[in-house]
Amino acid sequence: MDLQYGRFEQILTQFLLKSIHIILDSRVPSTRPYSRCREVKKSDKWFNLALGDRPSALENLNFWHRNLTEPIIIDIILVQEPPNCSCGYSLLPTTSGLGTFTETVIERWVVQCEYLRTMTPQSSDVSYKKTYKKSIILLRSLFSMMRLLPAYKAFRKLSSTNQTCDFDINYKVSTFSVPFSRTEEELMKHYSFIPVDAQQGRFAISVTYRDNLSHFNLEASTSFPPEIITDYVGSPLTDPLRTFPSSLERRFHATPLLSRGMHSPSSVPFQRPHSWTSGLHRGVSSPQSQPLAGSPALYRASYEVSSVISDTYGRKVQDCKSPAHYEAASSNDSYQLSPPFSPSPSPSPPAYLTSGNPVQTRLRSESAPVSIPHPIVGRSSRYISPNSSDPNRNSLPPLSPRFTKHDSSSQESPSGTRSLRKSDSLRSAESSCGMTYLGQKVSRDAKDDSGRFSGLLSSSDSPRVGFSRSSSRLSFQDDLDECDFSCPFIVDDVDTSESQANQNLDLRKGSEASSQANSSVRKSQDAAVGALVHMLRTAPPLRLDCSSYASGFEKSELESIAGAGSGFVLPRKTSDALEELKAYSEMKELLLCKSGSITSRAGSKDETSSS
Amino acid sequence: MNCEVCQLKELEVEHIEVREVLRCILHTILFHRALGLVRPKDVDLELFDITYVQCGDVEHEKKINEKIDHFIDRVEKHPNKKNQICLSFYEVKNKQATWFTNKVERHYWEQWYINLNTVQHPKTHSGKSHHPKVVVDPGETASEERNARRTALESSLREVLFQIIKFVNEKKDHVPPIPNLDGVSFPYEITISSSSDSAFGMDMLKRMLQTGHPTMLS
Repeated sequence: MDLQYGRFEQILTQFLLKSIHIILDSRVPSTRPYSRCREVKKSDKWFNLALGDRPSALENLNFWHRNLTEPIIIDIILVQEPPNCSCGYSLLPTTSGLGTFTETVIERWVVQCEYLRTMTPQSSDVSYKKTYKKSIILLRSLFSMMRLLPAYKAFRKLSSTNQTCDFDINYKVSTFSVPFSRTEEELMKHYSFIPVDAQQGRFAISVTYRDNLSHFNLEASTSFPPEIITDYVGSPLTDPLRTFPSSLERRFHATPLLSRGMHSPSSVPFQRPHSWTSGLHRGVSSPQSQPLAGSPALYRASYEVSSVISDTYGRKVQDCKSPAHYEAASSNDSYQLSPPFSPSPSPSPPAYLTSGNPVQTRLRSESAPVSIPHPIVGRSSRYISPNSSDPNRNSLPPLSPRFTKHDSSSQESPSGTRSLRKSDSLRSAESSCGMTYLGQKVSRDAKDDSGRFSGLLSSSDSPRVGFSRSSSRLSFQDDLDECDFSCPFIVDDVDTSESQANQNLDLRKGSEASSQANSSVRKSQDAAVGALVHMLRTAPPLRLDCSSYASGFEKSELESIAGAGSGFVLPRKTSDALEELKAYSEMKELLLCKSGSITSRAGSKDETSSS
Repeated sequence: MNCEVCQLKELEVEHIEVREVLRCILHTILFHRALGLVRPKDVDLELFDITYVQCGDVEHEKKINEKIDHFIDRVEKHPNKKNQICLSFYEVKNKQATWFTNKVERHYWEQWYINLNTVQHPKTHSGKSHHPKVVVDPGETASEERNARRTALESSLREVLFQIIKFVNEKKDHVPPIPNLDGVSFPYEITISSSSDSAFGMDMLKRMLQTGHPTMLS
C-alpha cells in the first residue's frame, strides 16, 4: 500500500512539475533554457514529453508544496507601461512606490489533485498505469492549448529577437490567489481539462484567461521615444574621446559610484544611454512584487531546510544550509542552462558556461586569458527567442525596494516577507556574482563594448525589457536602492584577481595609459576591465585634480607632479589623451582579434609609447 | 474495444491553403496520439497566425507531407469539391492466417475525419460594379475578400484545433496501452476520399466492417 501510494505521489509530483514547466515555458521567455541537449534527461522523460531543462525553481517544488492537496496557482501577468508615459526618465523608480506599470493577470492556471473521499479503491496496478497514460494525454493537450490561447501571441512577441516590446510577462506561482473582481471575471473565459482519475483523487488542470488582449495594444515597439544619442559609441570608428553630456548622470543616479567617478569627458564609455544600466532602470521600474510573491512561496521551505533533504524519489537534494549556498546552487542550474555560444559575431568561449558554482566559474573565466564572451548580446538575443533562456538575468542588477515593499504588503504569500528578508542575502550574493560577471563582460575596448551593446539593442529587445522580465524570474535580484547594485565595473565588486591587477595598475599610474592597458592585456581581460574602469574614474580632468589622483598615485609621484607647476599640465593633458586613444585602439584591436594574436602587437605599442 | 470517431468541422480552403491547413490538423492529431517519448516542436503557419505542435519525428513528417502532396494533386485535378481525409489509428490484432485471408488484422480504435471543401476563388473581381457611379478597384476588393476569407478560415481552423483538444481530453479510455516506443506509438493510416468518389462511402463502410468481427469481412 505504501508503495502504491508512493507511486501515486511520485506521479502527482511529476505531473505538477511538468504542468508548471509547460505553462512557464510557453509564457515566460526567461524561464526557457537556451540550449536543449539532444539527450533527454531522465527527469525530462516523465509523461513522454521532453521539454528540456526545468527552471531551477521547479526542482524544489516539493520543498514548498508539501501538501499535495493544495492547488498550485500560476498567474501569468501582463506588465505594461501606463499609456501616458512621456519619456524614459519618468520611468525611473521613485520612492513613492508603484504606479509606473500596470499589471494584469491575463491567465490563471490551476493545477491540482482533487482529492475525493468517495474514490473507491481500485486495483492499484491498473490504476497507476492508466493514470499515467491519461496524464500523458492531458499534458499533450495542455501543451497544445498553451499555443492556442491569446497570451501565446504576447509571449511570442516578447520572445522575438528583433523586436522590442512595451510590455512584459511576469508570473507568480503560489498555493492561493486573490480572486478576480467581477469586472475582471466578465472579461475572462474559463476552460477545464477533463480530470484524470488517479488512485487518491483526480489530476485537474483549468485555466481562466482573457480571450481578448487587443485592448492592451501589445505591440512590439520601442517604449522610449526615439532620441539622438550624442554620446553613442557604437562603432569602432567613433571617436572614443567624444564628450558625454552631463544629462547622462541623471540616468545613473542609482549607480552613484560610477557617476562620481566619471566626470571627465573621456570617462564614460559605459554610461551610454543604451547600456544595460538603462535597462536596469527599466527593469527596476518593472514590478517585482508578483515574482517575489511567487519566488518566496517557491523557496519558503528551502530556508527552513538545514540538512540534506531527499525528495520522494530518493534523490539527494543539495544541502540548503545557507541561503547563499542555495542561491548559488539554484543559480548553478540556471547557469548550466546558459548557452555555450552566443549568436553574436564575436566568439564566446564556453569556459564559464560549464557546470559548477557560477561564482567560481566566473572567477575562472575572469582570470582566463581568452577572449571575453558577449554574454549579454548573446543572451539577450537568446532570451528573446522561444528557446532561449536568460541566465544572465540572474546576474542583472537588483530591483528597487519599492517592489519589495509592495510584495511585503501583498497578501498572496504569507511567507513573502520572511522570504524577502532571506532572499536579500541570496540576492547580495547573486548581485555580486552578477557584478563580477558583468565586469568581465566589459573588459574589452570601450568602443567595441559599446558596439556590443548597440548590437544588443539592434538585435534584440532593449536590456531594460530584459530586466523587467528578469524581475519576474526565479532568480533572486536585489533592490537597486539598497546599494547592493553598483556599477558592474566597480573594481571592488570583482574578484580578487581582478582587484589585484588593478592594484598593480595603480602603482604604475604614473606611466602612460597605454601601458596600463597593455599590462591588463597581458594579465587578463578582466584586469583590463578593472584597469580601464580605474583609468576612467581617475582620468584627469582638464585641470589637474590632485584628489582624484590620490587613489591612483603614490604620494611621491603626486607631489612631483604638483611641484612641476601648471606648465606641466598642458603637455600632460594632450599626451594623456593620446595615450588613452592608443589604449582604446589597442583594446579595440584586442577585441577584434580575440586577444591572443594581438598581444604581441600591444606589447610593441607599449614600448613605443613609453619611450 | 470501440472505435471512436471524430468528425472535424468542415473548412473551406483555397488550394494554396490546403497544405498548411492539413499539416496543422494532421500534426496536431498526431501529437496527441504519439504517446511515446517526443520532443515537441512548435511550427508557425505562414498563412495564418497559428502555431501548432509537431511530435518532432522526421519520418512521420515526411509521410504526412507525401499524403498531403497526394491530396493536393487530387484536388488540383478535381477542384471545387468536398474532400475528406481520414486519419485512422489501429492496432494489429493477430497475424496468424485464417481461412479467408492472410492479411494482418487491423483493429481501428480511432478515426479522425478532416472535411475540406476546396474552392478556387477567382483571382480578380469581375470588374462590374452594382453601382456604376462608384468606381471600385477590383484588385482591392478581391484582396479584401481574400483577407476576410482567410481571417474566417483562421478562426475556423482554431476551432478545429480546439475541437481536437476537446475530443482528446474527453475520450481517453479507448486508447490502447502505450507500447515502449519513441514518438508515434500507434500505427496509423491516412486515406483520402472526395465526394465524387464512388468509393467515398465504401472506404468508410470497409473500415466499419473491419472494426467489427472478422467473419463480417467476407
